[in-house]
Amino acid sequence: MTPSAPPPAGVPLEVSDEKYSAALAHDALGPLVVFRGTISTPNPGSVLNPFVDAVHQHLLEARAPDARVDLRELEFCNSSGFKAFIHWIQRIAETAEPQRYKLRFLSTPARKWQRTSLLALSCYGVNTVTIE
Amino acid sequence: MRAESSLPLLPVYLKLRMQPPWVFIDEIRRFVESFCACACPGYGREGQLALAVHELMQNALPTGQGDDVELYLEVDRGADRVQVAVSNRCSEADHRALAGRIEHMYGEPDALAHYLQAMHDTPTSERGGLGLARVRFECQLDISISRLEGRVTVHASGPLQVPAILPRGSRP
Repeated sequence: MTPSAPPPAGVPLEVSDEKYSAALAHDALGPLVVFRGTISTPNPGSVLNPFVDAVHQHLLEARAPDARVDLRELEFCNSSGFKAFIHWIQRIAETAEPQRYKLRFLSTPARKWQRTSLLALSCYGVNTVTIE
Repeated sequence: MRAESSLPLLPVYLKLRMQPPWVFIDEIRRFVESFCACACPGYGREGQLALAVHELMQNALPTGQGDDVELYLEVDRGADRVQVAVSNRCSEADHRALAGRIEHMYGEPDALAHYLQAMHDTPTSERGGLGLARVRFECQLDISISRLEGRVTVHASGPLQVPAILPRGSRP
């Protein structure tokens, strides 16, 4: 895999709220989107969906074949927050086939909700989502 | 492997009454997870029950008209049963809408199929619309409602001992 370029200046590739944050980083393995904290506000989509859109655009421009999505420090995500990941899968599905990339979710058994939530998400994004 | 418990095989329950603001839902979810880990050790149900409590309480608050939200949680190892009930004040119109959503949900007998359809159909820019489907599939609980004296109660119940949800391709 070829590491993608770092994000351009001025693009909001990092967001935070009182109890959670999300940021795009890059390492030797390529793009890494890290979610931290507890997503439990009534409408986190107002924060997370624009962030997902910006990351999506960046990944398309970088021609990334995949992105890792690290949930290991995400204590909890309510169903409204979960929609941000559904939104992301839908964005990828709307993209022309050659430009589509995969989402590789990194999870931990210590957060018991992650296993079933990601299994469901992998059924929704059959060709997009893998769980590691 | 299931841990041995010194608790007798009697139902264990808790009742909580919460007055908004809803910010304490996180604390209640963590408490429920700890409570269930102690009340039914080794069953691996605590994460699912904590998730169910969180989703049902968060659903209750917008329609609760500022009144108390009540939580009842029961773990019955002897009967192999768990139940969560969340009660809140609710207008007749909100009650009818909720009853309609649950009826629609059970129009699809497969919990995962309905959950995936809800993911597809529910606008991602708006809150709501996914919680009940999530509880049904991810928490492996059946959902029903009852109404009494201006309050609605959402019941989520099921076996204490459930098979693990299998990854895609592993399903029979």
